[in-house]
Amino acid sequence: MISAGNDIVALNVIDVQRTQSPAFYSKFITPTEFDLYNPNEITLINFVWLIWSAKESAYKYLKRINPELIFAPAKIKVVSLDIVVSLKTENVHNYRGWILAEDMSLPFLSVTRPEFISTVITQGDVKWNFLKIEASDYENQSKAVRSLLLNDLKISNVSVEKHPTGYPVLMKDGQELNIAVSFAHHGCYVSYSFQISE
Amino acid sequence: MDRKEILSELKKVLAPYTESKEMLAGINEETDLIKDLKINSANLVDIIIDAEAQYNIEIDFDAAEKMYNVGNCIDVISEKINKTA
Repeated sequence: MISAGNDIVALNVIDVQRTQSPAFYSKFITPTEFDLYNPNEITLINFVWLIWSAKESAYKYLKRINPELIFAPAKIKVVSLDIVVSLKTENVHNYRGWILAEDMSLPFLSVTRPEFISTVITQGDVKWNFLKIEASDYENQSKAVRSLLLNDLKISNVSVEKHPTGYPVLMKDGQELNIAVSFAHHGCYVSYSFQISE
Repeated sequence: MDRKEILSELKKVLAPYTESKEMLAGINEETDLIKDLKINSANLVDIIIDAEAQYNIEIDFDAAEKMYNVGNCIDVISEKINKTA
């Protein structure tokens, strides 16, 4: 079964002080996961939100497969994290890792930039994109992410509808397309991912 | 503190994280934090931390995962308050 999961965190709207408090990050990062933190490769703030976005991405991916799933970050385990690209002068870094959850191993890719962190589950043939938008209200985020996806898809007469469990579905001529889509938005940033084949 | 009082305090905890002020005013135990109040999932931990401070309780991993709708939030908070009482 195809699925999709991605997440984005706008770093200008998170609480910097709170993020660095163990009382905050220990709510969803286990001690074993915290062992993956290497201060030479990633800041604590980026690590905390990267782990969050990886778990959120995995949850979205798994929720499509199991609609009854409840978001339980402690049960979605990040088991590896490696830096793969680092442009230090621009403070842009790419990381790859693996997640274990619901008896599945899911690979992910995360990009950290000074403004945001974006993560996508990279199972199968996955496309992914993100965009900065002007206004951060929910309606604008929702409209912008749909528009970004539909422009990139380049398939005519496609509309985006919502499945009763909450994930987006693509419709064309009254039929659901076999493309799994995931949307994410936070502050002035939106992102999507989709998977066409396994 | 009964469920009605917990709900009233919970509105104050949720207020900074939702644009849907009208929906917040009319929340009930079935209200979903993400679907109905359009709260960004990135704020769920903030809500747990704020609830801990508001009710002077500690919410652990297992309890936190139940807090996806208002009724479940009240269940968790009520249980923790009774434990500390």
